[in-house]
Amino acid sequence: MGGVAYSNSCGHSMTSLPPRPLRIAAAAILALAIAALIAVVLYSIFTTATGASGSASRLDIPHLVRMTTIQAGLTTVLSLIVGIALAWSLNRLRFPGRDLVVGLFSSAIVTPGMIVAFGLLTIWGRNGWINQAAEALTGHTLGNPAFGLSGILFAHVILDGAFAARILLARLDAIPQSRLKTGQSLALTARQRFAIVDWPAMAGTIPGLAAIIFLLAFTSFPIVLLLGGGPANQTLEVAIYAAVRQDFDLQGAVMLALTQIGVCSIVILGASALAPVPTSLGASIAPSWRDPLAARALQTVVLILCTLGFVLPLLTALIGGFSAGIPPVIATASFWHATAASLVIGSVSALLTLALALILTLGRSATSNGAARTALGIPSYAYLAVPAVVLSLGFFLAVRNLGVAPAVAAPYVVILGNTMLSLPFAVATLGPPLDAIARSRGKLIRSLGLSGWRQFALVEYPLLGRDIGVALALAFCFSLGDLGVIALFGTQDFQTLPLLMFRALGAYRGNDAAAIAAILLVGTIVAFVALPKLFERLAYVAR
Amino acid sequence: MLRAEALSFAYPGQATPYVFSFDALPGQITAISGASGSGKSTLLDQLAGFLAPSSGTLTLDGMDFLPLPPERRPVSLLLQSESLFEHLSAARNIALGLPANTPRAVIDQRVAQALAEVGLTDIGPQRAATLSGGQKQRVALARTLLRDRPVLLLDEPFSALDDETRQTIRALVRTLTERHGWHTILVSHHQDDVAAIASRRYRLADYRLTQA
Repeated sequence: MGGVAYSNSCGHSMTSLPPRPLRIAAAAILALAIAALIAVVLYSIFTTATGASGSASRLDIPHLVRMTTIQAGLTTVLSLIVGIALAWSLNRLRFPGRDLVVGLFSSAIVTPGMIVAFGLLTIWGRNGWINQAAEALTGHTLGNPAFGLSGILFAHVILDGAFAARILLARLDAIPQSRLKTGQSLALTARQRFAIVDWPAMAGTIPGLAAIIFLLAFTSFPIVLLLGGGPANQTLEVAIYAAVRQDFDLQGAVMLALTQIGVCSIVILGASALAPVPTSLGASIAPSWRDPLAARALQTVVLILCTLGFVLPLLTALIGGFSAGIPPVIATASFWHATAASLVIGSVSALLTLALALILTLGRSATSNGAARTALGIPSYAYLAVPAVVLSLGFFLAVRNLGVAPAVAAPYVVILGNTMLSLPFAVATLGPPLDAIARSRGKLIRSLGLSGWRQFALVEYPLLGRDIGVALALAFCFSLGDLGVIALFGTQDFQTLPLLMFRALGAYRGNDAAAIAAILLVGTIVAFVALPKLFERLAYVAR
Repeated sequence: MLRAEALSFAYPGQATPYVFSFDALPGQITAISGASGSGKSTLLDQLAGFLAPSSGTLTLDGMDFLPLPPERRPVSLLLQSESLFEHLSAARNIALGLPANTPRAVIDQRVAQALAEVGLTDIGPQRAATLSGGQKQRVALARTLLRDRPVLLLDEPFSALDDETRQTIRALVRTLTERHGWHTILVSHHQDDVAAIASRRYRLADYRLTQA
């Protein structure tokens, strides 16, 4: 009966969940504050749009919507195909280093898009490895496939395909042993096994996953900025950035932002009716039931191709960075300023994200009332409808309307923007385990009369340790690799490592960009691996 | 004496409500048996305070504790599984039976006494997850000793145990009940458990309790 409340004759409800009115109140106040913040952003955008009735922007919004939708739609379909094939292969194959490969694909969610784009340019660009090899062998080059729609799709599928594979692999890992034993005893073929055992396990997650990938691709910024190759492949996000920073067309940017919010809201509303995508990923163990040789051969080919596709751009970024020479880059003052800014912004926004996510999820897990849970959950997901560049534009307009110079507000706004960016993922990481603790331990906690603090210190924190580390790592890595929020607020005096890299690329200082990309990638990997382990350890000590 | 009088409860959409009445005496084990789905857990959830009956009374020595929330009821709870926080040590699980502001030295002393009383002496630092089923139930009983509540609710507490451990834990429950004057309510569908330790027996069928 966990989590189900019934009213007694006195009119008050009783439930196995411990009563935590303070937690619910804190979460409600925070949810309201986030909603107010989003409202301020939207208000700033709307008022600017209203005042822009007479201006004639040269932007072709229908074309931009069409191009963005085509790109996001193709990314979604291709990423799902790759994700299903890769999850299927990873689930079946047992080999030394399997954990490392699974961990590698898990890191896709935090891998900065601009590093993948940079790696692709190094391999497939006009002067990339492939063209150099082709010219040496045949005397001709293959053009520039890294630019344009093909490059954008390739970069998106590398990241989103790996992300989809990790989510779907968790679904395959969760198939009950009894079902596998039944299937094995019935001697199902590899095809029958996929159709009867695997597909039903994955199918429920695919619509929600498709919606997430579509939104990620629709709001993609750095990849399209670096690989778009011109207005023909521009998306709404990049067009907003161009309108503000290059054309100084604020009214045009606002119209684009409203269009972006409208489309994203429609997708989110549609996706809210779909089954949620589980984000808590446990250890992956290959089942003992192995497929026939032919299927295993196919799985091996899929795994090798996908691993190469994912690893090569990152490896080239690393090799390129270290061979180009780190010392000249780290000898500059701007590098250290950008590094300090990135670390401070990353750390503060990660801690802020964790605090906000804990307040929201502890409040949600303390109530079984469906409407209250929805109300506490919606604001943290509002960011998905108001993506990075749009949020940044809203803040930009809001601080300008308040008479504050954007340069003065920049550090605070970037921290706030990055926090909003990470919040949905941190809530999705902490929410399910907290709900599970409330369900499975609620009676015991309540019958022992543990206070809210003792409940957190003795039960929730020790059990959540790794999830807290994952939430912090996600938030830190998102912030470290973000280009969308900083893009509108960055100045020569205030820039982060991604912005420094972007400017180095724009100034044709490829070696500098390569070195910064390598440093960013190493920082991201270290944080993503170390933080969950550190907090798992700290929580273990607390037991 | 623990007395339930016409405790009435119906889940949403349930046409016939459960109506429970029984008496339980101190120092005795009162068994409630019945088929799966007959309502045993529903009764226990009402006694523990997780479900609120629509009418009826529940008194201990004449004092009505039905309005109290679960944490303030004079009740300790021992489940078939998940009676312990498996990530904590046995000693920390037991210490949860004491008030939060209890001094460290007192905690150590009381935990050691409780462990000795349930026949365990050296497993205090061990994580609960590493204990056997019988050890877990003993640790939960040790915590019950520190909580010092006059009513002990047992929900199929022996089901996950092997025969030998089962007999040992049954004897321990009976000894502790007699020694501390608990009103112990045992819910079980195992007739041998009921026959072995119950002083008073009720059977739950057709939404009603009848004395066997």
